[in-house]
Amino acid sequence: VLSAVTVLVIMGVIARGFAKDVHQAHVEGRDVI
Amino acid sequence: MQGAELAQLGVGVVVVLLVAFYGGTFLMSTRIGKKEEDADAYMTAGNKVGFGISAASMTATWIWASSMYASATSGYTYGVSGPIHYGLWGALMILFIYPFGRRIRAVAPKAHTLAEVMYARHGRSSQLMLAGSNVVGSVISLMSNFIAGGALISLLSPLTFMQGVIIVAGGVLLYTLWSGFRASVMTDFAQVMAMLGAVAVIVPAIFFAAGFPTSFTAGADNLTAQQGSFFSSEAFMNQGAPYIAAVLAYAIGNQTIAQRLFAVREDLIRPTFVTATIGYGAMVIGVGMLGVLALYLGIEPMGGDPNNLVPQMAATFLPPVLLAVFFVMIIGALSSTADSDLSALSSIMMADVYGQTVAGKGKADPRTMLLVGRVTMVVATALAVAFASMRLSILDLLVFVGALWGALVFPVIASFYWKKVTNRAFTAGVVAALAAFLPVRFGLVPLDGVAGLVVDVLAVIGIGVVVGLMAFGFFGLRVAKVVGVVAVVAAAPFALGALHEYATLSSSLLAYAVSTLVCYLMSFRSQESFDFELIKQRTGDFDREPQAAQVRAGAAVSD
Repeated sequence: VLSAVTVLVIMGVIARGFAKDVHQAHVEGRDVI
Repeated sequence: MQGAELAQLGVGVVVVLLVAFYGGTFLMSTRIGKKEEDADAYMTAGNKVGFGISAASMTATWIWASSMYASATSGYTYGVSGPIHYGLWGALMILFIYPFGRRIRAVAPKAHTLAEVMYARHGRSSQLMLAGSNVVGSVISLMSNFIAGGALISLLSPLTFMQGVIIVAGGVLLYTLWSGFRASVMTDFAQVMAMLGAVAVIVPAIFFAAGFPTSFTAGADNLTAQQGSFFSSEAFMNQGAPYIAAVLAYAIGNQTIAQRLFAVREDLIRPTFVTATIGYGAMVIGVGMLGVLALYLGIEPMGGDPNNLVPQMAATFLPPVLLAVFFVMIIGALSSTADSDLSALSSIMMADVYGQTVAGKGKADPRTMLLVGRVTMVVATALAVAFASMRLSILDLLVFVGALWGALVFPVIASFYWKKVTNRAFTAGVVAALAAFLPVRFGLVPLDGVAGLVVDVLAVIGIGVVVGLMAFGFFGLRVAKVVGVVAVVAAAPFALGALHEYATLSSSLLAYAVSTLVCYLMSFRSQESFDFELIKQRTGDFDREPQAAQVRAGAAVSD
Protein backbone atom coordinates (compact mmCIF):
# COMPACT_ATOMS: atom_id res chain seq x y z
CA VAL A 1 0.00 0.00 0.00
CA LEU A 2 2.81 2.41 0.92
CA SER A 3 4.68 1.64 -2.30
CA ALA A 4 1.57 2.29 -4.40
CA VAL A 5 0.49 12.54 -9.96
CA THR A 6 -2.07 13.95 -7.50
CA VAL A 7 0.22 16.88 -6.74
CA LEU A 8 0.77 17.58 -10.44
CA VAL A 9 -3.00 17.48 -11.11
CA ILE A 10 -3.57 20.08 -8.36
CA MET A 11 -0.81 22.21 -9.89
CA GLY A 12 -2.55 21.98 -13.25
CA VAL A 13 -5.95 22.97 -11.83
CA ILE A 14 -4.49 26.03 -10.08
CA ALA A 15 -2.38 27.06 -13.10
CA ARG A 16 -5.41 26.78 -15.41
CA GLY A 17 -7.47 28.86 -12.99
CA PHE A 18 -4.75 31.50 -12.85
CA ALA A 19 -4.59 31.68 -16.65
CA LYS A 20 -8.37 32.16 -16.73
CA ASP A 21 -8.14 34.91 -14.10
CA VAL A 22 -5.52 36.75 -16.17
CA HIS A 23 -7.54 36.33 -19.38
CA GLN A 24 -10.76 37.52 -17.71
CA ALA A 25 -9.02 40.59 -16.30
CA HIS A 26 -7.56 41.35 -19.75
CA VAL A 27 -10.99 41.05 -21.40
CA GLU A 28 -12.55 43.34 -18.79
CA GLY A 29 -9.65 45.79 -19.01
CA ARG A 30 -8.79 45.68 -15.31
CA ASP A 31 -5.90 44.53 -13.14
CA VAL A 32 -5.83 40.82 -12.33
CA ILE A 33 -5.79 41.74 -8.63
CA MET B 1 22.78 5.70 9.34
CA GLN B 2 22.82 7.79 12.49
CA GLY B 3 26.25 9.05 11.80
CA ALA B 4 25.68 9.90 8.15
CA GLU B 5 27.26 13.18 7.06
CA LEU B 6 24.73 15.86 6.12
CA ALA B 7 25.27 17.72 2.85
CA GLN B 8 25.45 21.51 3.04
CA LEU B 9 25.01 24.31 0.55
CA GLY B 10 27.77 26.93 0.48
CA VAL B 11 27.20 30.51 1.65
CA GLY B 12 27.35 31.70 -1.96
CA VAL B 13 24.72 29.23 -3.14
CA VAL B 14 22.36 30.05 -0.25
CA VAL B 15 22.74 33.80 -0.80
CA VAL B 16 22.10 33.42 -4.55
CA LEU B 17 18.99 31.29 -3.87
CA LEU B 18 17.64 33.77 -1.31
CA VAL B 19 18.32 36.79 -3.52
CA ALA B 20 16.67 35.02 -6.48
CA PHE B 21 13.65 34.00 -4.38
CA TYR B 22 13.03 37.29 -2.56
CA GLY B 23 14.17 39.37 -5.54
CA GLY B 24 11.71 37.50 -7.77
CA THR B 25 8.79 37.89 -5.36
CA PHE B 26 9.65 41.57 -4.87
CA LEU B 27 9.62 42.10 -8.65
CA MET B 28 6.22 40.37 -8.82
CA SER B 29 4.89 42.70 -6.14
CA THR B 30 6.19 45.78 -7.98
CA ARG B 31 4.27 44.67 -11.10
CA ILE B 32 0.97 45.06 -9.21
CA GLY B 33 2.04 47.94 -6.95
CA LYS B 34 0.31 51.30 -7.24
CA LYS B 35 1.67 54.69 -6.23
CA GLU B 36 -1.56 55.33 -4.34
CA GLU B 37 -2.71 52.04 -2.83
CA ASP B 38 -6.35 51.57 -1.83
CA ALA B 39 -6.94 50.82 1.88
CA ASP B 40 -9.66 48.22 1.20
CA ALA B 41 -7.60 46.48 -1.49
CA TYR B 42 -4.67 46.46 0.95
CA MET B 43 -6.88 44.28 3.20
CA THR B 44 -9.08 42.22 0.86
CA ALA B 45 -8.10 43.01 -2.77
CA GLY B 46 -11.54 44.32 -3.71
CA ASN B 47 -13.60 41.22 -2.73
CA LYS B 48 -13.56 39.71 -6.25
CA VAL B 49 -10.36 37.71 -6.63
CA GLY B 50 -10.59 34.87 -9.18
CA PHE B 51 -10.39 31.11 -8.59
CA GLY B 52 -6.79 30.47 -9.65
CA ILE B 53 -5.23 33.17 -7.49
CA SER B 54 -7.51 32.43 -4.52
CA ALA B 55 -6.95 28.66 -4.61
CA ALA B 56 -3.19 29.19 -4.93
CA SER B 57 -3.21 31.67 -2.06
CA MET B 58 -5.31 29.53 0.30
CA THR B 59 -3.13 26.49 -0.43
CA ALA B 60 0.15 28.37 -0.02
CA THR B 61 -1.00 30.09 3.16
CA TRP B 62 -2.08 26.88 4.89
CA ILE B 63 1.09 24.98 3.89
CA TRP B 64 3.90 26.21 6.08
CA ALA B 65 7.24 24.78 7.10
CA SER B 66 5.98 23.73 10.53
CA SER B 67 3.09 21.75 9.04
CA MET B 68 5.50 19.73 6.91
CA TYR B 69 7.88 19.18 9.82
CA ALA B 70 5.04 18.26 12.20
CA SER B 71 3.51 15.83 9.69
CA ALA B 72 6.87 14.04 9.38
CA THR B 73 7.18 14.03 13.18
CA SER B 74 3.74 12.44 13.38
CA GLY B 75 4.80 9.82 10.82
CA TYR B 76 7.97 9.08 12.75
CA THR B 77 6.13 8.89 16.10
CA TYR B 78 2.88 7.14 15.18
CA GLY B 79 3.84 5.29 11.99
CA VAL B 80 1.89 4.99 8.75
CA SER B 81 -1.31 6.64 10.03
CA GLY B 82 0.54 9.61 11.58
CA PRO B 83 0.79 11.85 8.48
CA ILE B 84 -2.83 11.06 7.62
CA HIS B 85 -4.03 12.11 11.07
CA TYR B 86 -2.00 15.31 10.73
CA GLY B 87 -2.61 16.22 7.08
CA LEU B 88 -6.20 15.05 6.64
CA TRP B 89 -7.66 16.97 9.58
CA GLY B 90 -5.49 19.98 8.79
CA ALA B 91 -6.93 19.92 5.26
CA LEU B 92 -10.48 19.61 6.58
CA MET B 93 -9.95 22.87 8.49
CA ILE B 94 -10.10 24.53 5.07
CA LEU B 95 -13.03 22.45 3.83
CA PHE B 96 -15.32 22.79 6.85
CA ILE B 97 -15.08 26.57 7.03
CA TYR B 98 -16.38 27.23 3.53
CA PRO B 99 -20.12 26.68 4.22
CA PHE B 100 -19.83 29.14 7.11
CA GLY B 101 -17.77 31.41 4.87
CA ARG B 102 -20.63 31.62 2.39
CA ARG B 103 -23.00 32.65 5.19
CA ILE B 104 -20.50 35.20 6.51
CA ARG B 105 -20.11 36.70 3.02
CA ALA B 106 -23.90 36.82 2.61
CA VAL B 107 -24.37 38.91 5.76
CA ALA B 108 -21.14 40.96 5.42
CA PRO B 109 -20.12 41.00 1.74
CA LYS B 110 -17.53 43.76 2.10
CA ALA B 111 -16.08 43.19 5.55
CA HIS B 112 -12.33 42.85 6.09
CA THR B 113 -12.04 40.80 9.29
CA LEU B 114 -14.29 38.46 11.27
CA ALA B 115 -13.79 40.64 14.32
CA GLU B 116 -15.13 43.63 12.38
CA VAL B 117 -18.31 41.63 11.70
CA MET B 118 -18.53 40.66 15.39
CA TYR B 119 -18.42 44.37 16.24
CA ALA B 120 -21.30 45.00 13.85
CA ARG B 121 -23.22 42.04 15.30
CA HIS B 122 -22.54 42.45 19.01
CA GLY B 123 -20.22 45.28 19.98
CA ARG B 124 -16.80 45.87 21.39
CA SER B 125 -16.10 42.97 23.77
CA SER B 126 -16.89 40.24 21.22
CA GLN B 127 -14.81 42.06 18.61
CA LEU B 128 -11.81 42.39 20.92
CA MET B 129 -11.95 38.74 22.01
CA LEU B 130 -11.89 37.53 18.42
CA ALA B 131 -9.36 40.13 17.23
CA GLY B 132 -7.13 39.39 20.22
CA SER B 133 -7.12 35.66 19.52
CA ASN B 134 -6.44 36.35 15.82
CA VAL B 135 -3.46 38.57 16.69
CA VAL B 136 -1.96 36.02 19.10
CA GLY B 137 -2.31 33.25 16.50
CA SER B 138 -0.76 35.30 13.70
CA VAL B 139 2.18 36.52 15.81
CA ILE B 140 2.95 32.93 16.89
CA SER B 141 2.68 31.74 13.29
CA LEU B 142 4.93 34.58 12.06
CA MET B 143 7.52 33.80 14.73
CA SER B 144 7.34 30.10 13.88
CA ASN B 145 8.01 30.75 10.20
CA PHE B 146 10.99 32.95 10.98
CA ILE B 147 12.36 30.25 13.31
CA ALA B 148 11.91 27.62 10.59
CA GLY B 149 13.76 29.86 8.13
CA GLY B 150 16.62 30.52 10.53
CA ALA B 151 16.90 26.84 11.43
CA LEU B 152 16.92 25.74 7.78
CA ILE B 153 19.52 28.30 6.72
CA SER B 154 21.79 27.46 9.66
CA LEU B 155 21.38 23.72 8.98
CA LEU B 156 22.16 23.85 5.27
CA SER B 157 24.77 26.63 5.21
CA PRO B 158 27.50 28.18 7.39
CA LEU B 159 25.20 31.15 8.14
CA THR B 160 23.94 31.43 11.74
CA PHE B 161 20.35 30.96 12.96
CA MET B 162 19.78 34.67 13.64
CA GLN B 163 21.31 35.68 10.29
CA GLY B 164 18.79 33.33 8.67
CA VAL B 165 15.89 34.74 10.70
CA ILE B 166 16.77 38.33 9.74
CA ILE B 167 17.18 37.47 6.03
CA VAL B 168 13.78 35.72 5.91
CA ALA B 169 12.03 38.48 7.90
CA GLY B 170 13.53 41.20 5.73
CA GLY B 171 12.72 39.34 2.51
CA VAL B 172 9.05 38.80 3.42
CA LEU B 173 8.60 42.38 4.64
CA LEU B 174 10.25 43.73 1.47
CA TYR B 175 7.65 42.35 -0.92
CA THR B 176 4.57 42.60 1.35
CA LEU B 177 4.92 46.07 2.83
CA TRP B 178 3.71 48.29 -0.02
CA SER B 179 0.72 46.43 -1.47
CA GLY B 180 -0.27 44.29 1.53
CA PHE B 181 -2.77 41.50 0.89
CA ARG B 182 -2.62 42.07 -2.89
CA ALA B 183 1.11 41.34 -2.90
CA SER B 184 0.59 38.38 -0.58
CA VAL B 185 -1.95 36.59 -2.79
CA MET B 186 -0.21 37.43 -6.07
CA THR B 187 3.15 36.05 -4.92
CA ASP B 188 1.36 33.05 -3.39
CA PHE B 189 0.63 31.80 -6.90
CA ALA B 190 4.32 31.65 -7.84
CA GLN B 191 5.22 30.23 -4.44
CA VAL B 192 2.63 27.43 -4.55
CA MET B 193 3.66 26.46 -8.08
CA ALA B 194 7.28 26.25 -6.92
CA MET B 195 6.32 24.28 -3.79
CA LEU B 196 4.09 21.73 -5.53
CA GLY B 197 6.51 21.30 -8.42
CA ALA B 198 9.41 20.80 -6.04
CA VAL B 199 7.66 18.38 -3.70
CA ALA B 200 6.48 16.17 -6.58
CA VAL B 201 10.15 15.61 -7.45
CA ILE B 202 11.84 15.72 -4.05
CA VAL B 203 9.76 13.20 -2.07
CA PRO B 204 10.02 10.39 -4.67
CA ALA B 205 13.74 11.23 -5.12
CA ILE B 206 14.37 10.75 -1.38
CA PHE B 207 12.37 7.51 -1.36
CA PHE B 208 14.33 6.04 -4.27
CA ALA B 209 17.68 7.28 -2.93
CA ALA B 210 16.83 5.55 0.37
CA GLY B 211 16.35 2.20 -1.36
CA PHE B 212 12.60 2.25 -2.01
CA PRO B 213 10.76 -0.14 -2.24
CA THR B 214 13.05 -2.69 -0.54
CA SER B 215 13.53 -0.34 2.45
CA PHE B 216 9.85 -0.85 3.30
CA THR B 217 10.13 -4.62 3.47
CA ALA B 218 13.59 -4.69 5.07
CA GLY B 219 12.71 -2.14 7.75
CA ALA B 220 9.26 -3.42 8.72
CA ASP B 221 10.68 -4.81 11.97
CA ASN B 222 11.47 -1.25 13.12
CA LEU B 223 7.73 -0.57 13.54
CA THR B 224 5.52 -1.56 16.45
CA ALA B 225 2.11 -3.09 15.70
CA GLN B 226 0.48 0.32 16.33
CA GLN B 227 2.95 2.11 14.03
CA GLY B 228 2.33 -0.41 11.27
CA SER B 229 -1.45 -0.01 11.33
CA PHE B 230 -3.50 2.52 9.39
CA PHE B 231 -6.06 2.25 12.22
CA SER B 232 -3.74 2.93 15.14
CA SER B 233 -5.73 3.93 18.24
CA GLU B 234 -2.60 5.55 19.67
CA ALA B 235 -2.28 7.80 16.62
CA PHE B 236 -5.99 8.61 16.72
CA MET B 237 -6.12 9.55 20.41
CA ASN B 238 -2.86 11.54 20.48
CA GLN B 239 -2.79 13.10 17.00
CA GLY B 240 -6.11 12.61 15.21
CA ALA B 241 -8.72 13.37 17.87
CA PRO B 242 -7.16 16.64 19.16
CA TYR B 243 -6.88 17.76 15.55
CA ILE B 244 -10.50 16.88 14.75
CA ALA B 245 -11.48 18.97 17.77
CA ALA B 246 -9.37 21.82 16.41
CA VAL B 247 -10.77 21.71 12.84
CA LEU B 248 -13.30 24.51 13.32
CA ALA B 249 -11.26 26.30 15.98
CA TYR B 250 -8.29 26.93 13.69
CA ALA B 251 -10.58 28.00 10.87
CA ILE B 252 -12.48 30.49 13.05
CA GLY B 253 -9.44 31.71 14.97
CA ASN B 254 -7.27 32.37 11.96
CA GLN B 255 -7.64 35.72 10.20
CA THR B 256 -5.65 34.46 7.18
CA ILE B 257 -8.60 32.20 6.26
CA ALA B 258 -11.19 34.90 6.95
CA GLN B 259 -9.26 37.35 4.77
CA ARG B 260 -9.44 34.95 1.81
CA LEU B 261 -13.13 34.29 2.45
CA PHE B 262 -13.74 38.03 2.11
CA ALA B 263 -11.38 38.41 -0.88
CA VAL B 264 -12.50 35.63 -3.24
CA ARG B 265 -15.43 36.24 -5.59
CA GLU B 266 -18.46 35.05 -3.64
CA ASP B 267 -19.54 32.39 -6.17
CA LEU B 268 -16.02 30.90 -6.16
CA ILE B 269 -15.73 30.18 -2.43
CA ARG B 270 -16.53 26.47 -2.77
CA PRO B 271 -14.17 25.52 -5.66
CA THR B 272 -11.41 27.62 -4.10
CA PHE B 273 -11.60 25.96 -0.70
CA VAL B 274 -12.13 22.43 -2.05
CA THR B 275 -9.03 22.80 -4.26
CA ALA B 276 -6.97 24.16 -1.37
CA THR B 277 -8.15 21.26 0.83
CA ILE B 278 -6.86 18.69 -1.66
CA GLY B 279 -3.66 20.64 -2.36
CA TYR B 280 -2.80 21.02 1.32
CA GLY B 281 -3.67 17.40 2.17
CA ALA B 282 -1.64 15.98 -0.72
CA MET B 283 1.43 18.07 0.04
CA VAL B 284 1.49 17.67 3.81
CA ILE B 285 0.65 13.96 3.91
CA GLY B 286 3.24 13.35 1.19
CA VAL B 287 6.01 15.15 3.05
CA GLY B 288 4.90 13.46 6.27
CA MET B 289 5.66 10.10 4.66
CA LEU B 290 9.35 11.07 4.93
CA GLY B 291 8.91 10.59 8.68
CA VAL B 292 7.46 7.12 8.07
CA LEU B 293 10.42 6.34 5.78
CA ALA B 294 12.85 7.47 8.50
CA LEU B 295 11.08 5.11 10.90
CA TYR B 296 11.45 2.19 8.48
CA LEU B 297 15.13 3.03 7.97
CA GLY B 298 15.82 3.29 11.71
CA ILE B 299 17.11 6.86 11.41
CA GLU B 300 17.53 8.83 14.64
CA PRO B 301 16.50 12.50 14.36
CA MET B 302 19.35 14.99 14.73
CA GLY B 303 19.70 16.28 18.28
CA GLY B 304 16.83 13.98 19.26
CA ASP B 305 14.39 16.51 17.75
CA PRO B 306 11.95 14.95 15.23
CA ASN B 307 11.36 18.46 13.79
CA ASN B 308 14.78 18.07 12.14
CA LEU B 309 13.70 14.97 10.22
CA VAL B 310 12.59 16.61 6.95
CA PRO B 311 15.72 18.73 6.35
CA GLN B 312 17.82 15.84 7.69
CA MET B 313 16.33 13.39 5.15
CA ALA B 314 16.82 15.93 2.36
CA ALA B 315 20.43 16.66 3.32
CA THR B 316 21.18 12.94 3.66
CA PHE B 317 19.68 11.62 0.44
CA LEU B 318 19.42 14.45 -2.11
CA PRO B 319 22.12 15.52 -4.59
CA PRO B 320 23.15 19.22 -4.35
CA VAL B 321 20.84 20.42 -7.15
CA LEU B 322 17.76 18.85 -5.55
CA LEU B 323 18.89 20.03 -2.12
CA ALA B 324 18.80 23.58 -3.53
CA VAL B 325 15.27 22.90 -4.84
CA PHE B 326 14.29 21.59 -1.39
CA PHE B 327 15.72 24.76 0.18
CA VAL B 328 13.59 26.96 -2.10
CA MET B 329 10.51 24.80 -1.37
CA ILE B 330 10.78 25.33 2.39
CA ILE B 331 11.59 29.03 2.01
CA GLY B 332 8.52 29.34 -0.26
CA ALA B 333 6.31 27.52 2.26
CA LEU B 334 7.33 29.66 5.23
CA SER B 335 7.35 32.94 3.27
CA SER B 336 3.87 32.44 1.81
CA THR B 337 2.48 31.91 5.31
CA ALA B 338 4.52 34.72 6.88
CA ASP B 339 3.31 37.26 4.31
CA SER B 340 -0.28 36.15 5.02
CA ASP B 341 0.28 36.63 8.75
CA LEU B 342 1.59 40.14 8.12
CA SER B 343 -1.44 40.93 5.96
CA ALA B 344 -3.78 39.48 8.60
CA LEU B 345 -2.21 41.52 11.39
CA SER B 346 -2.25 44.72 9.35
CA SER B 347 -5.93 44.27 8.43
CA ILE B 348 -6.90 43.76 12.08
CA MET B 349 -5.02 46.90 13.12
CA MET B 350 -6.45 48.85 10.15
CA ALA B 351 -10.10 47.77 10.35
CA ASP B 352 -10.64 46.80 13.99
CA VAL B 353 -8.26 49.03 15.91
CA TYR B 354 -7.98 52.17 13.77
CA GLY B 355 -11.10 51.96 11.58
CA GLN B 356 -13.63 50.92 14.22
CA THR B 357 -12.07 52.01 17.50
CA VAL B 358 -9.59 54.90 17.23
CA ALA B 359 -11.01 56.95 14.37
CA GLY B 360 -14.56 55.70 14.82
CA LYS B 361 -17.03 54.56 12.22
CA GLY B 362 -17.24 56.76 9.15
CA LYS B 363 -14.34 58.98 10.20
CA ALA B 364 -11.42 56.74 9.24
CA ASP B 365 -8.97 58.34 6.80
CA PRO B 366 -7.90 55.73 4.20
CA ARG B 367 -4.39 57.20 3.94
CA THR B 368 -3.88 57.04 7.69
CA MET B 369 -5.31 53.53 7.57
CA LEU B 370 -2.66 52.48 5.03
CA LEU B 371 0.05 53.98 7.23
CA VAL B 372 -1.32 52.00 10.19
CA GLY B 373 -1.19 48.81 8.11
CA ARG B 374 2.41 49.35 7.03
CA VAL B 375 3.62 50.35 10.49
CA THR B 376 1.90 47.22 11.86
CA MET B 377 3.84 45.05 9.41
CA VAL B 378 7.17 46.58 10.43
CA VAL B 379 6.43 46.33 14.17
CA ALA B 380 5.08 42.77 13.87
CA THR B 381 8.18 41.70 11.95
CA ALA B 382 10.49 43.22 14.56
CA LEU B 383 8.54 41.56 17.40
CA ALA B 384 8.53 38.18 15.65
CA VAL B 385 12.30 38.39 15.07
CA ALA B 386 12.82 39.24 18.75
CA PHE B 387 10.62 36.33 19.88
CA ALA B 388 12.27 34.02 17.34
CA SER B 389 15.62 34.60 19.05
CA MET B 390 14.14 32.91 22.15
CA ARG B 391 13.40 29.73 20.12
CA LEU B 392 10.20 28.92 22.00
CA SER B 393 8.41 25.62 21.44
CA ILE B 394 6.11 26.76 18.66
CA LEU B 395 3.98 23.67 18.17
CA ASP B 396 3.19 23.53 21.89
CA LEU B 397 2.11 27.17 21.72
CA LEU B 398 -0.03 26.53 18.65
CA VAL B 399 -1.73 23.48 20.15
CA PHE B 400 -2.49 25.59 23.21
CA VAL B 401 -3.85 28.51 21.19
CA GLY B 402 -5.82 26.14 18.94
CA ALA B 403 -7.55 24.70 21.98
CA LEU B 404 -8.24 28.20 23.27
CA TRP B 405 -9.88 29.07 19.96
CA GLY B 406 -12.34 26.24 20.63
CA ALA B 407 -13.98 28.54 23.19
CA LEU B 408 -14.89 30.96 20.40
CA VAL B 409 -16.32 28.55 17.83
CA PHE B 410 -19.95 28.16 18.92
CA PRO B 411 -20.50 31.81 19.95
CA VAL B 412 -19.02 33.06 16.66
CA ILE B 413 -20.91 30.63 14.40
CA ALA B 414 -24.20 31.02 16.30
CA SER B 415 -23.88 34.80 15.96
CA PHE B 416 -24.12 34.50 12.17
CA TYR B 417 -27.27 32.38 12.17
CA TRP B 418 -29.24 32.92 15.39
CA LYS B 419 -30.96 36.24 16.02
CA LYS B 420 -31.15 35.68 19.78
CA VAL B 421 -27.42 35.55 20.60
CA THR B 422 -26.47 38.58 22.70
CA ASN B 423 -23.13 40.24 23.34
CA ARG B 424 -23.43 39.23 27.00
CA ALA B 425 -24.04 35.56 26.08
CA PHE B 426 -21.10 35.61 23.66
CA THR B 427 -18.72 37.13 26.20
CA ALA B 428 -19.87 35.00 29.14
CA GLY B 429 -19.64 31.83 27.05
CA VAL B 430 -16.06 32.51 25.99
CA VAL B 431 -14.88 33.61 29.47
CA ALA B 432 -16.52 30.60 31.17
CA ALA B 433 -14.95 28.25 28.62
CA LEU B 434 -11.50 29.71 29.23
CA ALA B 435 -11.99 29.41 32.99
CA ALA B 436 -12.84 25.72 32.57
CA PHE B 437 -10.15 25.05 29.94
CA LEU B 438 -7.05 26.39 31.70
CA PRO B 439 -7.06 24.32 34.94
CA VAL B 440 -7.81 21.09 33.05
CA ARG B 441 -5.23 21.77 30.32
CA PHE B 442 -2.44 22.43 32.83
CA GLY B 443 -3.46 19.87 35.46
CA LEU B 444 -4.20 22.50 38.11
CA VAL B 445 -7.06 20.43 39.54
CA PRO B 446 -6.90 16.70 40.35
CA LEU B 447 -9.18 14.82 37.96
CA ASP B 448 -9.73 11.67 39.94
CA GLY B 449 -13.21 10.92 41.23
CA VAL B 450 -16.14 13.25 40.61
CA ALA B 451 -14.10 16.04 38.95
CA GLY B 452 -12.83 13.60 36.33
CA LEU B 453 -16.36 12.36 35.64
CA VAL B 454 -17.65 15.94 35.27
CA VAL B 455 -14.87 16.69 32.78
CA ASP B 456 -15.67 13.49 30.89
CA VAL B 457 -19.39 14.30 30.69
CA LEU B 458 -18.72 17.84 29.46
CA ALA B 459 -16.07 16.59 27.01
CA VAL B 460 -18.58 14.11 25.56
CA ILE B 461 -21.01 17.01 25.10
CA GLY B 462 -18.08 18.80 23.43
CA ILE B 463 -17.79 15.90 20.97
CA GLY B 464 -21.47 16.37 20.10
CA VAL B 465 -20.92 20.12 19.62
CA VAL B 466 -17.88 19.65 17.34
CA VAL B 467 -19.49 16.98 15.16
CA GLY B 468 -22.84 18.76 15.16
CA LEU B 469 -21.30 22.06 14.02
CA MET B 470 -19.42 20.28 11.23
CA ALA B 471 -22.69 18.74 10.01
CA PHE B 472 -24.55 22.04 10.45
CA GLY B 473 -22.34 23.84 7.94
CA PHE B 474 -23.19 21.39 5.18
CA PHE B 475 -26.63 19.98 6.06
CA GLY B 476 -28.43 22.47 8.30
CA LEU B 477 -29.79 22.44 11.85
CA ARG B 478 -32.01 19.33 11.81
CA VAL B 479 -29.27 17.00 10.55
CA ALA B 480 -26.75 18.67 12.88
CA LYS B 481 -28.89 17.91 15.94
CA VAL B 482 -29.26 14.25 14.95
CA VAL B 483 -25.54 13.88 14.16
CA GLY B 484 -24.55 15.63 17.40
CA VAL B 485 -26.76 13.38 19.54
CA VAL B 486 -25.56 10.24 17.74
CA ALA B 487 -21.94 11.31 18.31
CA VAL B 488 -22.58 11.81 22.04
CA VAL B 489 -24.32 8.43 22.40
CA ALA B 490 -21.61 6.65 20.39
CA ALA B 491 -18.70 8.27 22.26
CA ALA B 492 -20.08 8.08 25.81
CA PRO B 493 -19.39 4.37 26.52
CA PHE B 494 -15.72 4.78 25.50
CA ALA B 495 -15.13 8.30 26.79
CA LEU B 496 -16.73 8.32 30.24
CA GLY B 497 -14.09 7.45 32.79
CA ALA B 498 -11.20 7.71 30.31
CA LEU B 499 -11.24 10.98 28.38
CA HIS B 500 -9.89 13.16 31.22
CA GLU B 501 -6.60 11.25 31.00
CA TYR B 502 -5.91 13.02 27.67
CA ALA B 503 -5.43 16.61 28.90
CA THR B 504 -5.08 18.32 25.50
CA LEU B 505 -8.11 16.62 23.99
CA SER B 506 -10.44 16.76 27.01
CA SER B 507 -9.65 20.41 27.83
CA SER B 508 -10.30 21.41 24.22
CA LEU B 509 -13.64 19.56 24.14
CA LEU B 510 -14.46 21.09 27.53
CA ALA B 511 -13.98 24.57 26.05
CA TYR B 512 -16.42 23.75 23.23
CA ALA B 513 -19.02 22.35 25.62
CA VAL B 514 -18.89 25.13 28.22
CA SER B 515 -18.96 27.99 25.69
CA THR B 516 -21.88 26.32 23.87
CA LEU B 517 -23.91 25.61 27.01
CA VAL B 518 -23.41 29.08 28.52
CA CYS B 519 -24.01 30.91 25.24
CA TYR B 520 -27.11 28.82 24.47
CA LEU B 521 -28.64 29.03 27.95
CA MET B 522 -28.13 32.81 28.10
CA SER B 523 -29.58 33.31 24.62
CA PHE B 524 -32.56 31.04 24.15
CA ARG B 525 -34.83 33.08 26.43
CA SER B 526 -33.48 36.45 25.30
CA GLN B 527 -35.80 38.96 23.64
CA GLU B 528 -33.14 39.95 21.10
CA SER B 529 -34.14 39.56 17.45
CA PHE B 530 -31.14 40.87 15.54
CA ASP B 531 -31.65 42.11 11.97
CA PHE B 532 -28.74 40.68 9.97
CA GLU B 533 -29.23 43.35 7.29
CA LEU B 534 -27.66 45.79 9.76
CA ILE B 535 -24.28 44.07 9.37
CA LYS B 536 -24.12 45.08 5.70
CA GLN B 537 -24.68 48.69 6.72
CA ARG B 538 -22.15 48.60 9.55
CA THR B 539 -19.32 47.02 7.56
CA GLY B 540 -17.99 47.89 4.13
CA ASP B 541 -15.42 49.83 2.17
CA PHE B 542 -13.43 52.49 3.97
CA ASP B 543 -11.91 53.92 0.81
CA ARG B 544 -14.30 54.27 -2.08
CA GLU B 545 -17.79 54.82 -0.76
CA PRO B 546 -18.15 57.92 1.39
CA GLN B 547 -21.92 57.40 1.43
CA ALA B 548 -21.43 53.92 2.90
CA ALA B 549 -19.17 55.39 5.54
CA GLN B 550 -21.91 57.84 6.48
CA VAL B 551 -24.40 54.98 6.81
CA ARG B 552 -21.93 53.20 9.07
CA ALA B 553 -21.57 56.36 11.12
CA GLY B 554 -25.31 56.49 11.59
CA ALA B 555 -25.71 52.86 12.56
CA ALA B 556 -25.83 52.62 16.31
CA VAL B 557 -24.08 49.60 17.71
CA SER B 558 -25.08 48.46 21.15
CA ASP B 559 -22.18 47.48 23.32
